[in-house]
Amino acid sequence: MATTTATLTLASTDLLSDALSMTTSATLTTAGTSTGVTQTTGLGRKTTTFSGSGAIDTVVLFRADDYTADGANKIYLKNTSTTAAEFFTVFLTGDRATDVHGNADPGLTEIGRLYAGDWAFFPWNATGGTKEAFTVTIANTWAAGDTFVFDGVTVVAADSTLNNIAAQIDAAQYPNWVTSVSSAVVTFVSRYGNAGIEIDTSEAVSTTAGDGTGAVATTVSGTRSVADIYIKPSVHTAMTLEHMLIHE
Amino acid sequence: MATTATLTLTSSDIAGDPVNVSKTTTCTKAGGTIDLDQSTGMNRILLRETTNKLLLGATAGGNDLSAKVYLINKATDPTQYVTVTINAQTIGKLYAGDWMFFPWSQTDTSADIEVAATSYTTAGGAIPIEYCLFHEDSIRLADA
Repeated sequence: MATTTATLTLASTDLLSDALSMTTSATLTTAGTSTGVTQTTGLGRKTTTFSGSGAIDTVVLFRADDYTADGANKIYLKNTSTTAAEFFTVFLTGDRATDVHGNADPGLTEIGRLYAGDWAFFPWNATGGTKEAFTVTIANTWAAGDTFVFDGVTVVAADSTLNNIAAQIDAAQYPNWVTSVSSAVVTFVSRYGNAGIEIDTSEAVSTTAGDGTGAVATTVSGTRSVADIYIKPSVHTAMTLEHMLIHE
Repeated sequence: MATTATLTLTSSDIAGDPVNVSKTTTCTKAGGTIDLDQSTGMNRILLRETTNKLLLGATAGGNDLSAKVYLINKATDPTQYVTVTINAQTIGKLYAGDWMFFPWSQTDTSADIEVAATSYTTAGGAIPIEYCLFHEDSIRLADA
């Protein structure tokens, strides 16, 4: 069990008529226990740069689907800029239309702005979206050399046995999907929640010499994540955000 | 009127090499070097509500201005946690002893900070939380 401590010290001699001096420490534990969290992304830096004439886009910092939902995850962020006017806006993805602020970013919920030198430390529930899922059923007559193409990956049948071909398809590694297989049926599950994808045979393409098919059937419709962490710099020129995620 | 916030993150064993991060920020108004000059002061409440309750109400006057929120769950039972939301969207859960310090954009009047004692039980008792807002907008008497 790792022991990780986060300490905050707030101090001011002149904000109030009495001095403000407060220190608090938290030992970071897994959800609902006294067991220390054991995983971290490590301390990292992300530099953003955009073309001077283009719009400034948001940048994905952490994807909720990569981490434990509802875990006692903690995020540290710091804007390393020394130019006072430069800020990073920190967002959660979601279904809110918080564009009245002038950000024109419907679908994102703005948490706040980190100005030059500012840091933030907050818990993150990492609630990902529903992952799209579909099946491919290998059927009829396939032959060695027939192909299945999906997600930029081509699988060439080694023989004509349907279950073997399905196993080959399952064994391939897809950039955006993970798979499992049962007999001649391969199940694909997207790596990330996404509401904008619907796979059919125009994307998962079976090409056979005979009447072999790879019927596609959607089994789960995806939804977008409601907790990815996005950031957006205030200027096109280079800005650097320091970050670390401590997670279950 | 300088207010400083210092974060110290330490661990000798979460990674192969020790983690030791120490950062101090001076809380300033938006886009400048003028110090934040207003605060709600430290507040303490005993939270029993399992549904979202308003902690800090966003004001249109706070748009584009700087604000920092400090919030801590003072419970000592590790199973007692508080769910923190903004604009009705969950940011995360503060477990016993956990704290958070984050910038708050009052993007619109829906950007309220709400809390819920999601794990509250009668046997466990109310969950004490403490919070403080440092800000520059002046339309905040409701939270003062």
